[in-house]
Amino acid sequence: MDIQNTQSQMRKGVLEFCILSVIRKGEVYPSDIVEKMKDAKLHILEGTLYPLLTRLKNAGLLTYRWVESNSGPPRKYFVMTEQGLAFYEELEKTWKELADAVHTITNNDSFLNTQL
Amino acid sequence: MKKVININFQGRVIPIEENAYDILKKYIDSLTKYFANEDGKDEIINDIEGRIGELFAETLKKGNSCISDEDINRIIDSMGRPEDFEAEDLNVQNQLGGNTNYNQEQKSTFSENNYNHQNTTKKLYRDENSKILGGVCSGLANYFGLDPLVVRIIALILLFSFGIGFIPYIIIWVAVPSSATQVIGSRRKRLFRDADDKIIAGVASGLGHYFGINAWIPRALFLIPFFSFVFKWGHWGIWDYPSFLKFSFSPGTLMAYIILWLVLPEAKNSAEKLEMKGEKVDFNSIKDTIQGDLKSFGKKAEEWGNDLTVKSKEWGNDAKVKMENLGQDINEKASNYSYQVVNNTKKSSRGLGDFIVIIFKIFAYFIIGCMLFALVAGLFSLGILSTGLLPLKSYILRAGMQDAMAWGTLILFVWVPVIGVITFIIRRITKSKANSNIIRWGFSALWVIGWFCLMSLISMIYKDFKYNNTVQDEIITLSNPKVDKLEVITAPLNNYYGNSVFNIESFASIDEDSAYVRNIWVRIVKSNSDSFQVKLTRRAQGSSRNEATYLANKINFDITQKDSILTLSKGVNINNTDKFRNQHVIVTIAVPVGKKFIVSHKANFGRYRGDRIHIGFDDNDWDRVGDDDGSYNYENDTEYIMTANKGVVRTNIKLKNGKYTYDSNDNYDDESSETLENFKRSKEELQKEIDEKKRKLENEQRELEEKQIELNKTIDTTPKYKYKAEVPQVEIPKKAVVKDASMNTSNVGFFFNESILNRLVI
Repeated sequence: MDIQNTQSQMRKGVLEFCILSVIRKGEVYPSDIVEKMKDAKLHILEGTLYPLLTRLKNAGLLTYRWVESNSGPPRKYFVMTEQGLAFYEELEKTWKELADAVHTITNNDSFLNTQL
Repeated sequence: MKKVININFQGRVIPIEENAYDILKKYIDSLTKYFANEDGKDEIINDIEGRIGELFAETLKKGNSCISDEDINRIIDSMGRPEDFEAEDLNVQNQLGGNTNYNQEQKSTFSENNYNHQNTTKKLYRDENSKILGGVCSGLANYFGLDPLVVRIIALILLFSFGIGFIPYIIIWVAVPSSATQVIGSRRKRLFRDADDKIIAGVASGLGHYFGINAWIPRALFLIPFFSFVFKWGHWGIWDYPSFLKFSFSPGTLMAYIILWLVLPEAKNSAEKLEMKGEKVDFNSIKDTIQGDLKSFGKKAEEWGNDLTVKSKEWGNDAKVKMENLGQDINEKASNYSYQVVNNTKKSSRGLGDFIVIIFKIFAYFIIGCMLFALVAGLFSLGILSTGLLPLKSYILRAGMQDAMAWGTLILFVWVPVIGVITFIIRRITKSKANSNIIRWGFSALWVIGWFCLMSLISMIYKDFKYNNTVQDEIITLSNPKVDKLEVITAPLNNYYGNSVFNIESFASIDEDSAYVRNIWVRIVKSNSDSFQVKLTRRAQGSSRNEATYLANKINFDITQKDSILTLSKGVNINNTDKFRNQHVIVTIAVPVGKKFIVSHKANFGRYRGDRIHIGFDDNDWDRVGDDDGSYNYENDTEYIMTANKGVVRTNIKLKNGKYTYDSNDNYDDESSETLENFKRSKEELQKEIDEKKRKLENEQRELEEKQIELNKTIDTTPKYKYKAEVPQVEIPKKAVVKDASMNTSNVGFFFNESILNRLVI
């Protein structure tokens, strides 16, 4: 097993969830998403972000609006739709369950002991 | 020093270095290709471009005067290249999303999307990503939207059923760019002259770098034939000049060197030197591509071998498990067998892989070599053909102006474009830009001068050939004009050399100052008397009537007869001072009716049968030569006979190896088949006649017998009847007469046969 591959898979697995979570907090510009994720030590290429956003938008989970910029042409800001919110809540539920399960398995030694 | 251009990018004016612009353009192109199958393709590209524009603006705000290579590379790194997306996206899609349909759809589009050029401009590429040998099959499959496996199977069937499948494969392999060229930053190898390692101009070492071989290999290739050229050039004679191959390889290499010198730029700066020695895969560098591909093919073949090994082991194990039930002996055999299979597959895969690698290498080099050689050789042969005419020059052209014009035509009109075209081809192959327009204009100007030379040369030659001589016929007195048959041959010529390279037909032999021109025409006409008559007509052309007549009278042409053989001179003599002015002779042979003639192939008038033989009815049909005179199916070494009504008719007798043979396989022409039919018809009539006579004869015989019976019945001792009994005795000779008559008829038949034969011969 390639450790790096497993690591990046684990990291990337939650990418979409994280992006949606950033957008849920309010209108956001794509490069801000990259910044926020970078702050949280979760690196993503902008080139991958744009297609992902477009796909989510086309799936009806996101929408956007043009905001005038003081330097240059207007910029695209993304917001979450009702449908996106529902989708996010589903993901959040799954994530919490998953996190709890992982936490329980990895930390609770007594759980393992009882089995033995 | 770098050139900066201004571009309008996403609503911003961006000053950008030219190189950086190229990188940006390639990057956007690669993105467009990558997202070709994506739903919101334009939107994604637009968003990314917008972001890049923003980053440009930020960079410029920091005080940079323009966007440099470094800036653009930094920005692209932060945005990510298609290769980076691929890995990330696949993983993300594998992990994320509850919607499996969505997931699979994306996966499939991405796996196909990678270098799958079903975008706006569909282009054929060799698929670098799913290739086995050169990626030709998978490239074709992509292009036509088929499964690569189908194309591969078809290719294999073609290869094994016709054995020529590999030719189109290699052509596509060589001609179609690899999809790897779409990857940004792949370095190209270019052909330069190496100034650091030069002996004359660095051509050989440049070639060495390009093909990744020691510089001494091209040097040797240039030098060895050059030495042979130096040594053999002394042989350059009138007819003995070097053959075509020697020619193209001797001064040819010198010329190739000069052309390469002209064409190739010198590697001046370090970037160019790197490009010259560049080691990355380059689709222009045929050798590199093929070698690289072949290596990976070797690996793949090994992988196949390993796969097979694993599988056969599995099978072997399977077999083991099953066989255990059947008994130990069989089990052992099975394991032995599986072991053998394993060994064999290992061996065969490696051996076969190596073998195929070698075969393909050989064929690839061979075909590339052939194509280039054919092109260059074609151009050279054009030049050589005209150069080969040089020995004839002194026989046609006068010294001075005409000579100069001839040289001008040869060099400027023929060789200049040859070199120009070869230069152009090499420039295109190496994609080197023209150093300046001077060469191009120089070549064009020289060629225009060449045209001028050609035109003036033609007009001068035309003037020299303008007038014909006054024609005077000379009747040749034959020693024995009453012969039945005349055989026409030509006198052997001692100093006759065949010229295998160029057939300058008319010129039979050329020496330093005199030549024989095989400019002889033979006419066959019907004689008015019962003896053969031969007439010689000398003809020539010149710049005036007097000159033409003078030249015509100088023609020395011998016609002698010995028995039935008429010997003509081999050719018309011309010399350096008098020049060739289309001196030719017309030998008119008048053949009496019923007499035969034959023209030996040794006379060899012209290359095609009979193109110097003209058959006419009388003296006045000279204008009709070649029209309707039967010359078209004339054949050498065939006997002809002059007939009263039908002119010249072929007999069935041919001259082979000096002997006359009856040619039964001959295709009868109209006339002879007609005679054959006549012959048949008359034979039938004859048969009828004979039958009728036989019938009559039988009737008479019956009558006779009846009378005999009557006679026997009434036989008596009376002397009166006794006298009468003598009658049959008289009748018996009558019978004999009848027999004679029948003999006579058969005689007539035979006689008739003979006459028919005669007619057939006619």
